[in-house]
Amino acid sequence: MQNRNEKALPLKAALNLLLLTVIIVAVFWLSLTAVGVTFDFSFVSEYRTRIGQGFLMTLLISLASFAVSLLLGVLSALGQGSRVLMLRYLCGFYVKFIRGTPLMMQIYLFFYIIGTAWGIDNRFVAGVLILSIFEGAYISEIIRGSLLSIEATQWEAAKAVGFSHSQTLRLVILPQMVTRTLPALTGQLASIIKDSSLLSWIAVIELTQTMREISADNFKLFECYFLLGLLYLALTLPVTLITKKLEKKFSYET
Amino acid sequence: MKKIAIVLSVCLLLSAAAGCAPAVTDSEKPLVVAMELAYPPFETKDSAGNPSGVSVDFAKAFGEYIGRKVIIENIAWDGLIPSLQTGKADMIVSSMTITEKRKEMVDFSDPYANALLAILANKNSGISSIDDLNQPGKKVAVKTGTTGDIYAREHLQNAGRIELADESACVTEVVQGKADAFIYDQLTIYRNWKTHEDATVAVFIPFQDVEQWGVAVRKGNTELLDKLNAFIAKFRSEGGFDKLTQKYLAEEKAAFEELGFQWFFDLK
Amino acid sequence: MKLELIGLTKTFNGQQVLGPIDFSDTIDTLAVVGPSGSGKSTLLRIIGGLLLPTEGRVMMDGEEAGHDESSLMLYRRRIGFVFQQGGLFRHMTARQNITVPLVHVHGFTQAEADAQANALLSRFGLLSQAHKRPGALSGGEQQRIAIARAIAPRPRLLLLDEPTSALDPEFTTEVLDMISELKADGIRFIIVTHEMGFARHACEHIAFLHEGRLLEYGPSEQLFAHPQTPEFARFLSKLLEWNIVRE
Repeated sequence: MQNRNEKALPLKAALNLLLLTVIIVAVFWLSLTAVGVTFDFSFVSEYRTRIGQGFLMTLLISLASFAVSLLLGVLSALGQGSRVLMLRYLCGFYVKFIRGTPLMMQIYLFFYIIGTAWGIDNRFVAGVLILSIFEGAYISEIIRGSLLSIEATQWEAAKAVGFSHSQTLRLVILPQMVTRTLPALTGQLASIIKDSSLLSWIAVIELTQTMREISADNFKLFECYFLLGLLYLALTLPVTLITKKLEKKFSYET
Repeated sequence: MKKIAIVLSVCLLLSAAAGCAPAVTDSEKPLVVAMELAYPPFETKDSAGNPSGVSVDFAKAFGEYIGRKVIIENIAWDGLIPSLQTGKADMIVSSMTITEKRKEMVDFSDPYANALLAILANKNSGISSIDDLNQPGKKVAVKTGTTGDIYAREHLQNAGRIELADESACVTEVVQGKADAFIYDQLTIYRNWKTHEDATVAVFIPFQDVEQWGVAVRKGNTELLDKLNAFIAKFRSEGGFDKLTQKYLAEEKAAFEELGFQWFFDLK
Repeated sequence: MKLELIGLTKTFNGQQVLGPIDFSDTIDTLAVVGPSGSGKSTLLRIIGGLLLPTEGRVMMDGEEAGHDESSLMLYRRRIGFVFQQGGLFRHMTARQNITVPLVHVHGFTQAEADAQANALLSRFGLLSQAHKRPGALSGGEQQRIAIARAIAPRPRLLLLDEPTSALDPEFTTEVLDMISELKADGIRFIIVTHEMGFARHACEHIAFLHEGRLLEYGPSEQLFAHPQTPEFARFLSKLLEWNIVRE
């Protein structure tokens, strides 16, 4: 009896998953029929080059912004702990302002006002900078949070065994921080991918903008946005999976 | 097994609910008119935030004519036609040009106004005609999905296109020189030129056939369409459009006359 | 190893928690006892160079512990410290906890550090746990590894801050046994503890702290049998109430 129950478990899981998929598809299909809209995806092959380019651009912008925002985040987190008061205030203001205002507003502010004033005309460059500044503030808080989450005793023990300050950071604090922040940071990459869609407002030809232009051309709004959703999932799902794997790998920390 | 039964029955209930709608006759339902309230003085908001403008008054007059209450729905330009398709709105009065492509998705009433595209150019762009714009290296800003966008796509193959969602963003780009020109209707170009006379020039030389504005309804909704056409004819003959012009566009009409342009509601 | 404390005080946020304390004697095995809040841990940290006194000086074998970070760092390197809990580096294995300080602080080669670590681990029956991280070890094992880490570089003094207070009772014995063994090896230590039996029988001397003042100091057997101050007497009788003191 015991054996048969255990064998049933994976089967049960598969059945539940199948049922869930059927339910979700059913809800969607019923909603569409009720509203009287039919899906026609024939346009995809006609526009595939542009869609591919938009997809690539989103990927490029996301990766570039990820790198720059990491740098900004680290610098800001360090700055917040600095002994130089001006630096501390500057970084604190940066984090509060960026996290407290909508990305939309920042895009317009930085592109049309600050960007123009400083001669940053290239939309891709401006887009990456704006997105990096935005995400950098969040990464700064992730790093700062993980730094604070390291128990005081770890610092004390490092002192007690005779480590210098730099040895403490290098041998004790940083290794622990890496395992703590890595899952959160990869999660941030998923956010960057989604937030990059807002750059369409300054006509950066990434995925969302491409789909918008196409739907304005062929009026197939629903198909376009549905496809858009799938394509973004194609980018974010792998990132989410990697995040989960990292969380599991580093779970000894607790 | 019990869980599955509960979930299935919930789904069935949902689909049943989606299928049945309360039985209310059409004539009692309010008339939902969709427009993008971002196009003064045709579709805009007053200081209290209520819809106001030429199209709003027009829609309300139509509502009175057919004896139904009018509800104005503020929907972004991209979403206007989809709102008809999904039944969120009954008609669109949003200074929308009748085009062949749009006719595939919706039905249009008889035209109620004429419009022409014009160009707002940056002072330093050296653009004085549409041909100046159709050169490699030139950048034209357009609002996504408008006839300016369509024109640029079909006729300005050499120029780079910057598609933006807001009219104000397009103007900003021209003023700042990020774009060489913005293509939109004459009236808006005129108004924006007046606001930014130091940074822009306006080119009004017509470069295409006159565009006609119509009211859009869901495909096949002939009942509403017939009423609309009858109303438009009646409204015009009773001077309804002249009254609207007097109320909202007196200054602009004077300017148009001075510039020698044909007025919107003059369909000759 | 001679320890001198001269006019030692410590104030936190306007509250004086310690002192003034004056002390001068050679240390072999000293237990520091007293009620909670009497300043025992603070005193231990000052002796260990982890905390700076508000006033006063600490002198070990005639050398004064400095007030700046660099000289304090050198001072700490010759003292082993065991914390009540959480002292092991979480991301390192038990073995690494011992070898990394040996290599980076005391100039051992990796091979020498491994040898030293293995010797200590096998001596105290911890070799099988050497590859595990603290999260996978029991409380008792963690504390014993912490002690091994502290004594590996052969410090001139070992300080233990209530090493068994956070442990489940079944692990207390193994830790106390290990400390006794170290005593037999000749290792000098100061231990802050509530384990009165251990303090009385395993430690040569005892110091009683009460509200930041050093009220009693002397040979433990003697002092336990004949407390000199009413505070110490009261403290002992309270412990006797619940039979915590093992006879």
